[in-house]
Amino acid sequence: MEKKIFFFSLAVCISLLAATYRWTDSAHSIGLIKASGGQARHASTFESGNDLYTLIATATVIPPYRGDARIVLEGSPEIDYRIHSSDPVIDLGIRRQPRLRDNVLYDLQPKDRIALWVVMKPPVLDPVCNMAYQKEFTKEHLDGKDYFFCSDGCRTAFKAEPGKYRGGESIRGNYTLAFYDTKTDKAVLRVPLIFKGKGELKDAGEHHH
Amino acid sequence: MQANTTTNKSFLQRNRYWIMLASAILLLPPLSFLFQFTADNNFCGSWCPRMFFVWRKGMSGSEYLMGFIRSYMGVSLVFGILASTFFFGRYWCSHLCPIGGTMEGGSRVLPKFLKINYSVVPAASFRYGYLAVYFIASAIGIGSLCCNYCNFATIPRIVGAAFSQADVSYFLRSAGLVNLGLVAGLGFIAQGGRAYCNLLCPLGALDALSNRLGLRIGKRMLIDSTKCNGCTACARVCPTWSIEVKEKKAGIDQLSCMPCGECRKVCAQEAISYGKSAH
Repeated sequence: MEKKIFFFSLAVCISLLAATYRWTDSAHSIGLIKASGGQARHASTFESGNDLYTLIATATVIPPYRGDARIVLEGSPEIDYRIHSSDPVIDLGIRRQPRLRDNVLYDLQPKDRIALWVVMKPPVLDPVCNMAYQKEFTKEHLDGKDYFFCSDGCRTAFKAEPGKYRGGESIRGNYTLAFYDTKTDKAVLRVPLIFKGKGELKDAGEHHH
Repeated sequence: MQANTTTNKSFLQRNRYWIMLASAILLLPPLSFLFQFTADNNFCGSWCPRMFFVWRKGMSGSEYLMGFIRSYMGVSLVFGILASTFFFGRYWCSHLCPIGGTMEGGSRVLPKFLKINYSVVPAASFRYGYLAVYFIASAIGIGSLCCNYCNFATIPRIVGAAFSQADVSYFLRSAGLVNLGLVAGLGFIAQGGRAYCNLLCPLGALDALSNRLGLRIGKRMLIDSTKCNGCTACARVCPTWSIEVKEKKAGIDQLSCMPCGECRKVCAQEAISYGKSAH
């Protein structure tokens, strides 16, 4: 009996830890694609400092919208991103499905549901001036980590006050995964993405399910 | 236990591996064509069998019901499974589930020295600890086990990753890697391949309850204690470690048993059968 109580309690503890843990390199956004602008249920929050992030963006097309939508990840500095659609491997053609090609979703029709995977690779920044990495940057190994600087001025400033600039090498701030109707150029859905520093986020990841 | 049963090994138990393979091909996206009859390409959306029955904090009654409507295929699947289990035992879990079948199939092709034996864990205690949090964490709004740890998302994406970039993306994130670790550790390298099913599948946990509730009415795996000589061969092959031998007699825990029939295959005494309890 004690053994059963022990394992029941163990399962509760492990499961509670798993349920409350926030995955900060990924998120799931749920949105509505509408001719009048569309809406995302909530902003997706990520923890700054990772090399790679993934967002699964699911959305439903609300009548009467129909058309083609171009998808752009907006924000500065630019993030390298790839969008993949969950298309059937062998399409029997039973149901028409919108198709993704070159970041454009073709033939969206009312009540369509889309599921896109956005893989984002943020640039490394100069921690002082926050410029995105370019090949002229010089590398400096400090406190067990590589930093990249655009100039001697930034390097000197960092070395003088590392505590002030540490963390600046990773992107922060607001981005948007925007869906634009290709004919009117109007946004039919905007999904807010927020990159926050460590300790600044309580609501990261996909905990809302 | 006296049993009113058939003695011949049934078609379903003789051909279980073939049925599992066929089921994985038929039900496992991305190859499965079933999903193309709806607006989905996998078990997410209308086919989701895990989320609809969980009430989340702040949800109104109508929102809860909307979840049932949204997941109408998943709802039909789950209620169909629970009803069939009540009368016939857990054939979904043992034969048809493409998730459990893939894990067990993977485990069967791996060499024995890699396998971990989880039978020290009292499965029902652990399983219902997990299920309690599955319901309560969402209800009190402290988190969720639904999507982040979904076996119905992970297994199809392992298969799908060979075909689709979208499925590869699932494993580019920490949560995806953790799920890969869970299905590998509790599935592919588990002895019998069913530790995940036995410990962490919420659908399996509900199904096991239905199995236990219908014990007096439905057909189950049964042991004839007059024939059993307590050799423990059945207990050693049971993938859900639901057979215990006490005082030279084997007994089945119907809260974990599924009618895979592995025990029946190895029973030299022919003491194990599938049928209706005489009680």
